[in-house]
Amino acid sequence: MIKVEVTKKNISILGHAMYDDYGKDIVCAAVSSIVMASVEGIASIDKSAIDIEQKKDNLNIIINKHDDITNKLIKTMINLLKELEKKYPKNIKITNKEE
Amino acid sequence: MLKFLEFNIQLFAHKKGQSSTSNGRDSAGRRLGAKAADGEYITAGSIIYRQRGTKIHPGTNVGRGTDDTLYATMSGYVKYEHLGKDRKQVSVYVEK
Repeated sequence: MIKVEVTKKNISILGHAMYDDYGKDIVCAAVSSIVMASVEGIASIDKSAIDIEQKKDNLNIIINKHDDITNKLIKTMINLLKELEKKYPKNIKITNKEE
Repeated sequence: MLKFLEFNIQLFAHKKGQSSTSNGRDSAGRRLGAKAADGEYITAGSIIYRQRGTKIHPGTNVGRGTDDTLYATMSGYVKYEHLGKDRKQVSVYVEK
């Protein structure tokens, strides 16, 4: 299961979707695409707005700036991941520690 | 060219062959059960029945080994019999 932990300062994405084997895991593909699009989108506007730490099974997005565009793109990413969680609750779980 | 990440839509998939199960082991079969049939002539010391626990109890002229194996204590004919209401035993008799 992919665990997404959201706080004000960073978003940690940990684990494997375990939906299917490598190359056929559609949940993993969705999460990867949503995250890559958001991260690269933010970086294309302001590379210093976020930092990325990538370890073996863990991607950590550190939010340096809370400007309007960065916030909107991050929020969109989280909303998309939440929609995914509704459809694949066994493969992705999001915990929001902001509230 | 991406700024942060290498393009990989299987970023959060477990690697091929990385089986998450730790099962998949089993011991070899112990070949338990009857080794001599009813009415068969056997010599003393022959094994009649391999078992765990006493599925079948030792009867006349039959001994029970430490692993509950039943064997003939004298040569003769094998006879599977009822023991009480719901149990079985095996005996060896000189005559059929």
